[in-house]
Amino acid sequence: MATRTQVKNRADHKWGMVIDLDRCTGCQACVIACQSENNIPLNDQSAFLDGRAIEWIRVERYWEGDYPDIKARFLPVLCQHCDNAPCESVCPVYATYHNSEGLNVQVYNRCVGTRFCGNNCPYHARLFNYWEPVWPEDLRNQLNPDVTVRTRGIMEKCTFCIQRIRRSTRGGKQVEDQAFNPACVQACPTDAMTFGNLNNPDSRVSQKWEDERAYRVLEALGTNPSVKYLKQVDAHA
Amino acid sequence: MPLTRRQFLKWAGVTSIGAVVFNGCRVPDHEIQVQSPVEMPEDLVTGRDNYYATAAQLGMASEGLLVRVMEGRAKKIEGNPDHPVNTGKHGIRAEALLQALYHPDRIKHPLIRIAKGGPFVEIGWDDGIRELVRILNGRDQGEVLLATPLLRGRVADVVKAFADGSGVRLQGFDPLGCESVVREALRQLYGQNTQPDFDIAHASYILNFGADFLGTWVNPTHFSRGYGEFRQGAGRSRGRLVHVGARYSTTAAAADHWVYATPGSEGLLAMAIAYTIIDEGTADADAASALTGGQGARALQAFAPDSVAWQTGVDAHVITELAHELADSHNRPALVIGGGPSAAQENGLFNMIAVYALNALVGSVNRPGGLVFNPEPVSGRIRTTSLRDWKQTLADMRSGDITAVLVRDADLAYGLPGELDARGALRSVETIVSFSSFLDETSELADLILPCHTPLEEWGTDEPNPGPGYTTVGFQQPAVRPFHETWSFGDVLLSAGSELGLSDLPGADMREAVRSLAMELHERKRGSVVQPTFVEFWKRTLERGGWWDIRATADGSRPELPALPSRPPNVSPADSKRYPLHLVPFEGIGVGAGQYAHLPWAQSAPDPITSAVWDTWVELNPHTADELGLKNNDVVIVESSTGRTIRVPVYINPATPPSVAAVPMGQGHRAFTSYAARRGANVLDILEPAEDAETGAFAWGATRVRVSGTTRTRVVPKLEGIEPARQLHGEELIYVHKA
Repeated sequence: MATRTQVKNRADHKWGMVIDLDRCTGCQACVIACQSENNIPLNDQSAFLDGRAIEWIRVERYWEGDYPDIKARFLPVLCQHCDNAPCESVCPVYATYHNSEGLNVQVYNRCVGTRFCGNNCPYHARLFNYWEPVWPEDLRNQLNPDVTVRTRGIMEKCTFCIQRIRRSTRGGKQVEDQAFNPACVQACPTDAMTFGNLNNPDSRVSQKWEDERAYRVLEALGTNPSVKYLKQVDAHA
Repeated sequence: MPLTRRQFLKWAGVTSIGAVVFNGCRVPDHEIQVQSPVEMPEDLVTGRDNYYATAAQLGMASEGLLVRVMEGRAKKIEGNPDHPVNTGKHGIRAEALLQALYHPDRIKHPLIRIAKGGPFVEIGWDDGIRELVRILNGRDQGEVLLATPLLRGRVADVVKAFADGSGVRLQGFDPLGCESVVREALRQLYGQNTQPDFDIAHASYILNFGADFLGTWVNPTHFSRGYGEFRQGAGRSRGRLVHVGARYSTTAAAADHWVYATPGSEGLLAMAIAYTIIDEGTADADAASALTGGQGARALQAFAPDSVAWQTGVDAHVITELAHELADSHNRPALVIGGGPSAAQENGLFNMIAVYALNALVGSVNRPGGLVFNPEPVSGRIRTTSLRDWKQTLADMRSGDITAVLVRDADLAYGLPGELDARGALRSVETIVSFSSFLDETSELADLILPCHTPLEEWGTDEPNPGPGYTTVGFQQPAVRPFHETWSFGDVLLSAGSELGLSDLPGADMREAVRSLAMELHERKRGSVVQPTFVEFWKRTLERGGWWDIRATADGSRPELPALPSRPPNVSPADSKRYPLHLVPFEGIGVGAGQYAHLPWAQSAPDPITSAVWDTWVELNPHTADELGLKNNDVVIVESSTGRTIRVPVYINPATPPSVAAVPMGQGHRAFTSYAARRGANVLDILEPAEDAETGAFAWGATRVRVSGTTRTRVVPKLEGIEPARQLHGEELIYVHKA
């Protein structure tokens, strides 16, 4: 399996993200911006009741303590684009692979829906289309032409908005730091999320990557994610 | 051909050399990557996209936006990086404007009922305007009510000019309407008529009373911009946030310290803090003298921490600690904010005066990191009419003094407390004309519907309230052509006004009205866009999404601070035996108080604390639920002191105080599209129609309830539990850095 160093050597870009939990308020702006950008099916009430809601990024809330000394903590979870991705090795049809820019990529028209990748993802970041996505005719006008609408029976997940990456880097273009961002990062009102090229030591994401508060979720698994979190700060309450 | 020995050796040699040579060369990694056998569809997109800068008023909030348009269709909304209020970011409701535009249940053309209560029939716009003029022509001045939501910018100018010219009674409607209490408090204290900005980014310490400013209060995107800097801004130390409130909200979750105070007692708590810092000599001496009428702490003796602790539910030593933190010179600048349920009480104005006076005591008035005054707007504003006035208006409808109601996105039948029976009052009116784009509860009762544009289709301007501390005018331009046969609300009024022969209208249509304002701004020759010709100014202003002038700040002068009251105001005694729980209604993160319930994204955005969606629930403390014999998903009857009830499932929330029942607003619509209708329950329906004693504003936080079980259960739809949390032994999912 490719390690981060190997990936670093073979492309100009190694895309990564840092999420500062001390800035995150759990406001859901990232969640809805992602759904708008990526043609995610409408999550109606039954989707939640059946446990079939599709959110490429979701904000998890964890409780700590008891009333009145209780604290809710938020963790935005998306595909971690692991360098040692457990989802890739189990796909029998190579529908998911690691590309040269460090992205964990899903080829929709190759996927046969075994869901092995979803089972093997420790972050539960992969989602299965149990039904054909349906939008009322008028609402289809909003669909993003840059993003494939996924059919029933295949897996999908966060792509770091690969369509935006492609548009910005097409033809081998060098992009300036912060010239574009995935939809979630672009929307985040508190600037909790930072995205960019980890191969560029001057990029904002590279600088935050080395922050003393930085950690990876479930690091002991050795998946080597391309997403790091900055610890929430607990001031003396 | 037979192979000779010589030929064999030759080929073998070449192959061996080739094997050695090629084995030494590394195959480029990208050539062995598994690739899709076809071009990815995103590479096949043809056509060009355009981005249009525009602005949108979203209730109290305001956001400058960029709309990505492709082949004449709006595809994505993004924040406008140039706009001073949201600087490139945007919230859920701005994103969902796309769904308002392409909503399948939009009213697509004008409709009229031939007979009262009969079915709607489609008509043309000429006939519609003619009918509107006929309705207005045949009535005396004051017989017609025009109800709108809070409006700002050029459309507010048009509405005011139309109302003044035609003599219709103009009233602003906001289901919560408590911003008027905050505004009145700031007017009395600091002589301000426009809401000051909160300079969160530069504050070191924030004490917040009730306002969920990071979730739903006023302009969360704007406040969140400051909050990010407040926490981890470059070149500054991390700020400390303390939240006082009855519900564990998004802002409470973000706070370093959450303090539960009995709903309605926030003013007492603030006064106790004021008393302490004045008594200890740590307050600004001039402000302390003015606020106490020169008597010092003695004037506020009735609010000493020991005296008010039992009423607030906060220990005296905690109150004293809060006072010490606020007055600590290391915590300067300190900022005090208040609003939401703390203002929506019978003593709401007292609460807000006490809260905002603290800013003067810590020297944070019109200073960086504190309250920053805003200049007067360049356009009009239509503000909330108090509940007291709405009660009178409903009485006028019943008595026949109001015979016609014109309504634009002011859903009176849904949003006023059920006990007022706004629906019944509207039914007694001869004619109702709706300008709404969707068939909400009030529009359902209409006789004529002239459907108007959604924000992405029309011209306008918006001046954020609060602004960033200087004059800011967002320009709204159509990002796409109208999707249906709708008109701009302003154009309808201007057209009808012209037919009625009204003078002094701001233009022939909204575009002209916006251009005339742009001409005024151009003539100032200053601000973010300065161009030699108006044509260039107009083009550049539309490209940038607006015009702002960082030098156009508020006049710094302010009147002498008034003396604070020496006694708390009287409030009606609560029947806490029959109704033991405080009802804390709160706005949905997406659906608000119901205004956005028709938008699927707003409905499916999980509540940050419970992760619940698409429904109404009641949050109870685990011990309260135990005492009542309730568990998650049990359907209960929530009965308020009005005797009205709703039936909702229970969500046991470990952060809910034991004496509180918290219920989200926004659901329980009878109509308002297929996404909103017949879903959940409307908590506004069971609220006491109580008022703030002084302003008459709706005291929507002052209702008490009792909760009783039923035999039914209904699962609360939510994100929580869909994905099981996977955790490794000895490894946390969320690490915390101890400061």
